[in-house]
Parts: sequence; structure tokens; C-alpha cells
Amino acid sequence: MTRQFSLALGQLFLVFVVQEAVVNQFRLPAGGFSLLLIFTLVWAILSLPEIAALIGFFSGLLMDLSQTSSGPIGHWTLLMIAACYAVAYLGSGNESLSGNPLGFTFLVASAVFFVELSFVATGVLLGVASGSFIQVLITSVGVSIWSLVVTPIFLPLISFLHQVTFNKRTVL
Amino acid sequence: MRRGGEGRGRLLLITLIVTALFLITLDLRGVGLLEGARQGTQSVLSPFQRAGSVALTPVKNFFSDVTHLGRTRNQIKELREDNAKLRSQLMQRKNADSQLAQLKNVLNLAGTAGYKIVNARVISQGSSQSFSQTITIDSGSKAGIKKNMTVLSEFGLAGVVKEVSPNSALISLATDPSFRIGIRIARSQQIGILSGRGSRSASLQLIDNLTSIKVGDVLLSRGSIANRPFVPGVPVGYVTAVDNSAGAIAQSATVHLYTDFSSLGVVAIVVGGADVNPGDALVPEKPMPTPVPTVTIYVSPSPTPTN
Repeated sequence: MTRQFSLALGQLFLVFVVQEAVVNQFRLPAGGFSLLLIFTLVWAILSLPEIAALIGFFSGLLMDLSQTSSGPIGHWTLLMIAACYAVAYLGSGNESLSGNPLGFTFLVASAVFFVELSFVATGVLLGVASGSFIQVLITSVGVSIWSLVVTPIFLPLISFLHQVTFNKRTVL
Repeated sequence: MRRGGEGRGRLLLITLIVTALFLITLDLRGVGLLEGARQGTQSVLSPFQRAGSVALTPVKNFFSDVTHLGRTRNQIKELREDNAKLRSQLMQRKNADSQLAQLKNVLNLAGTAGYKIVNARVISQGSSQSFSQTITIDSGSKAGIKKNMTVLSEFGLAGVVKEVSPNSALISLATDPSFRIGIRIARSQQIGILSGRGSRSASLQLIDNLTSIKVGDVLLSRGSIANRPFVPGVPVGYVTAVDNSAGAIAQSATVHLYTDFSSLGVVAIVVGGADVNPGDALVPEKPMPTPVPTVTIYVSPSPTPTN
């Protein structure tokens, strides 16, 4: 289990570096996409809820450690624990999802949309400025649409990496 | 056994949530260790960001170019006439020229006011998924940059230094929703507060209601104590619309920021303010209207032939 999580952490860190050093270089319209967010959500859907929460914790911590994150450290961590647990719960309740890339992609894109909105809502409680309502809406919808486009491209690779790392849906 | 597994799973979930809440509490209470962790991460990431910035130079502006297609149509037409090799060279040259022009203009701006500046290249555009508007530059504390220093673009105010690591710094742009700056109107010397709105248009709130704002009024930074976070006299933007709603306590207006944040390549960080307040010296000149040639045609009726 320790070996599996060391491997998973290494991969999450690598995706984080790619996000910060490559994806963020492109001035993508409407907020662009977060490879780390997509990667984590796909892994969460493929995992059991408890494992997904643990993956969400480490992924959220990395997102919090990014200097471009506007919230306090722990903000993304909390959201990612909740989001990953939720999508894993939905995924484990629907076994046909694993053989249905289209449904998978829509679940990831919807999860991204709700995560973004949750970030704004909890950010308001924590005193994080998020801009005007229209701006928030454009970014949230934009990031979701980008996720809809990007997820199918990376889905085979991400699910392959999950299979290699965890072998199958794991239990604690 | 299964019940034991479920119990362990629940315990893990609760532990993770409590840890996250604990981190939030520590960060909101300003524990330095967490801020150090962010700076440490940035120190690790900045060499990768710098490498990424260099490697992706020819393609990274593709999407912003697409959105500004109308503006670059003529340029594209010229480029089409060149062959592939020349086109590639031209793209690289274009990037260097653009950065040189930005650098020249920013030096002119800082030189006119007498600011002491450090120039830096933009190495990463902040992710806007967190609803913040930031950039990362390739200079940090080793170059004398400190937190809360004014950042200039070739056109005026770009933002303020938010975080500093040895070789890079994070800049909060003037478009960031949390960005606030005290300004004065060049024409009336009236003061107010400008707030970012996530786009190039910002909102202005005047402190008092004695004089009125006009469309076209130029806004300059008011300056802070010891010139941090803001030095005085930096052009910020101009008023595009005034809200004259009856019953408002203070006047408000919409402001168009001078800086084009989508094409920031080079910025200057003001490490030392001017010895004297530059006043209105940096107010941009109004563009001279192009004279339109007028042609007056006099029509005189031809003499009617009389028979």
C-alpha cells in the first residue's frame, strides 16, 4: 500500500509540475483547464471512496501549495477530499461507468463545474475575492468545457496509470 | 471484518477533513510555516516554469492571437507571403521585438518619473481557476524585489508583488478581484479607490462627492507611505462610464486599465521611488486626431440658354 501511494504521489507531483510549467504557459481563454484536477477526478472515479478521498487530499494540498492559488492553504484540500469522495461514491454505484468513456467524461466535466462553484462559495465564507458573478460564471463554465474537451484525450493514459499504480479498485 | 474496514474508512475520511480544516485555520491565523511551504514550492517550480516558458515561446500565444485575430489579420497576410523558414524566424524575431519594445517603453515610463526599477520577464500566467489574476516573473529577492512593490508595464500600472522567492516572484495583477489601489484624478486631484473586477475594466469609487468625474478622466496612483505598495503618479487607466445614480453616497465609475494584460511579456518592479513626486508627468498624451480632409464643392447653376 505504501509503495502504491508513493507511486501515486510521484505521479500527482509530476502532473502538478506539468500544469504549472506547461499548461499555465498557454493563455487559454475562459480559464483554461487544470490537468491536475482532471487527473485526480478520473483517478477518484476509478477508486473506492476512501482511497479517492486520500488522493483528493494530496492533490488538493498540491493545488494549495501553488502560489497562484488565491485561497488559504487547506481550501483546495478540503474541497478535493469532498469532490473525490463524492465522484468515487457515484462511480462505485454505477459499474457501467468504467466501460463508458462518454459518461466518464461528462461526470468529470460536471464535477469540475461543481468544484469551481464550491471553491467560490467556500471562498466567500473564507474571505477570498472571486470577482463579479459574470466572471465567475464564465470561468466555471469555461473550465468545464475545456475539461470536456481535454478529458477524452488524456483518459486512456490516466486510467492506464491508475491500473499500473493500483492494479485494480483497491480497499484499505 | 467488513464493519471494521468501514470504520477505518470513516476514520480516515474524518482525519483528512480535520487536517484540511486545521490547515485552513493555521493559514488564516498567519502561521509562517505554511507560507514558507508555498515559497518553497515556487522555488522548486520556477526552473521548470522558466524552461517551459523558453520551450513554448513559439506557440504559447497561439490562443490569445486567435482571440485577437481581427487585429493581426494584416500581419498574417504579410506572413503568408513568406516561406516557412522565414515565417518561423519572423515569429521568434517578433517575440523578441515585442519584448524589446515593451522594455523600452517601460524604461521610458520609469525614467520620466525617476523610479529605480528592476526588469523581469513573465515566465508564467497564473491559473485563473482559483479566480485570481496573477503572473510569475523570473526575478525575485536576489534581484532586490520585495513583497508589496509596484509593478509597471509599458503603459502604466500592472500590479503589485504578492509573493517573493529567491529567483521568482508572483505578481497580483490590477485585474485581480482582490486588488485595491488609491488613485487620484489628474484633472481634479480628487481621490478614490479602484478595485479589480477580473477583466480589463475596473471599478472606481470616489471618497467624496464634491466634484464630478467625467468620461476620459485619467487616473494616477496616489502613492503609499514609503512608496509601498504603490509609488505615486503611475498611470492606471481612464474613465469610460460614470454611474450617476441618484441616492448614491459616493460617485462610482467604470475604468479602462491602460495595461494590456493579455500580452504582458516584460514588466518593471519599482524597487525605489522617485526623489520627488512626479505629479502628472506620466499622464499619457491624448492621441492627436487625424485631420480629415474636407472637400467643398460649389455648384453654380449653368446659365440657362435663352433663345
